[in-house]
Amino acid sequence: MSFILELITSFVRKMLELLTFGGKTLTNTLKIYVKTNTGRTLTVNLEPQWDIKNVKELVAPQLGLQPDEVKIIFAGKELSDATTIMQCDLGQQSTLHAIRMRPPTIQREKLLSMSLEEEEPTGTPTEEASKPLNETLLDLQLENDERLNITDEYRVRAKAHFFVHCGQCDKLCNGKLRVRCSLCKGGAFTVHRDPECWDDVLKPRRIPGHCESLEIACVDNAAGDPPYAEFYFKCAEHVSGGEKDFAAPLNLIKNNIKDVPCLACTDVSETVLVFPCAAQHVTCIDCFRQYCRSRLGDRQFMPHPDFGYTLPCPAGCEHSFIEEIHHFKLLTREEYDRYQRFATEEATPPPPCGTLGSVVCSALPQS
Amino acid sequence: MANMAVSRIKREFKEVMRSEEIVQCSIKIELVNDSWTELRGEIAGPPDTPYEGGKFILEIKVPETYPFNPPKVRFITRIWHPNISSVTGAICLDILKDNWAAAMTLRTVLLSLQALLAAAEPDDPQDAVVAYQFKDKYDLFLLTAKHWTNAYAGGPHTFPDCDSKIQRLRDMGVDEHDARGVLSKENWNLEKATECLFS
Repeated sequence: MSFILELITSFVRKMLELLTFGGKTLTNTLKIYVKTNTGRTLTVNLEPQWDIKNVKELVAPQLGLQPDEVKIIFAGKELSDATTIMQCDLGQQSTLHAIRMRPPTIQREKLLSMSLEEEEPTGTPTEEASKPLNETLLDLQLENDERLNITDEYRVRAKAHFFVHCGQCDKLCNGKLRVRCSLCKGGAFTVHRDPECWDDVLKPRRIPGHCESLEIACVDNAAGDPPYAEFYFKCAEHVSGGEKDFAAPLNLIKNNIKDVPCLACTDVSETVLVFPCAAQHVTCIDCFRQYCRSRLGDRQFMPHPDFGYTLPCPAGCEHSFIEEIHHFKLLTREEYDRYQRFATEEATPPPPCGTLGSVVCSALPQS
Repeated sequence: MANMAVSRIKREFKEVMRSEEIVQCSIKIELVNDSWTELRGEIAGPPDTPYEGGKFILEIKVPETYPFNPPKVRFITRIWHPNISSVTGAICLDILKDNWAAAMTLRTVLLSLQALLAAAEPDDPQDAVVAYQFKDKYDLFLLTAKHWTNAYAGGPHTFPDCDSKIQRLRDMGVDEHDARGVLSKENWNLEKATECLFS
């Protein structure tokens, strides 16, 4: 008797599950482009709870391959079969890369027969399929020892967050870190290690990787060294506008994982700007705007020989100028226009006396 | 966003209230209005200076852009000091101008002003007359500063000679403060002061 009852209840539960799933999938389906290294682009609809194995099963027949012959590359990582779509931080109309597995040495021998001998001792690093970059990458503000001694509980909070100024949304947005090959600019690129600091991300030639965007793998030099990764950012808040849709990274804006109060208003905000001074002074975003506004009003930005028209830490610290001047895009459009106007005026000093004519010259204060 | 200035000042106010200097009665601060944009500070004249024993009241105005711009501070209590105007109380101190930094607070401002009373900078004067006396006739400067501290800030040292000279000018219908100002400026030479006032 109880057996039948159990059967019925489990059946009802399954039906209910199906119903709720049905409701969810309708709203959460992601339209994703899948690019292959043969130049084809497929459009697929993926459900968030699917895993990469499902994707391979969906994509492989369309490429005339078996699912286990395909690997999926996204944001610098080959994704493991067990990774779910949900974990990948994919937005609508994002692009995945489906690459036909090539038995590495045979293919490379054929194509690079000349560099065969050098190829063997170094060997192509075996890329293990793993979790996507956004799952493994830790916040770049963490120091090395902090990375090592991280607790699981803290790890969730310490996961990397990026902020960008998005031209399309015209505001401070959450950003997504993406990777491509520095040579062919193709996205089917896997990194040899995760970036560990902002220099790894912002400066060229820091992290090598493996490029599979083209039939022939890119090489950095005649010796066949692997190419370098090129990192870039996208806005995570609007539907991706394709591979040309970039956003300027605001590397001083960070998640306030250490709960530092704002230097000006003393509130503890979730998102803050950390000045590049030794003391790492912090302001909230509103107070940073206020700071820029007050300096703009007094025309007190400074022309820095390398960075341009910029500001130092408001606490007066040494060597604290903001390098990435896109941070000033956090001002209103009108204020930013004024900033740019002042910047051009400061950059081109007025012509020396005599060239202007005595009338204008005598009106200028003597200094 | 005046909120930034206000929330910061509220916090600093508490900081001053909890500070050791409050316990020692060497600085004090109070609100002038409910909007937290104007405050009144008080500093004790530092020991071993002509200002010892005096209490000096300060007007503190907090701009909307505080702490990215310095507070506007002036002495309400009249004071004889090379870096403070003997007429308006305006202060010449680098941290209240170009060297202000957002990490500074009301407490550090008050302590810096106290330090300024202990160590004048006659080469960067606000009041040229006082600075000249400081450099040229230091004994007279000390006397004058002590006398002003007594007259305006409740200092202990009285100088009957000064008081009688001021009284002489008052008898001629001169305002007490003007009389003290002119006499101080003329190194307490009654004749010159009279000449200055009536010529």
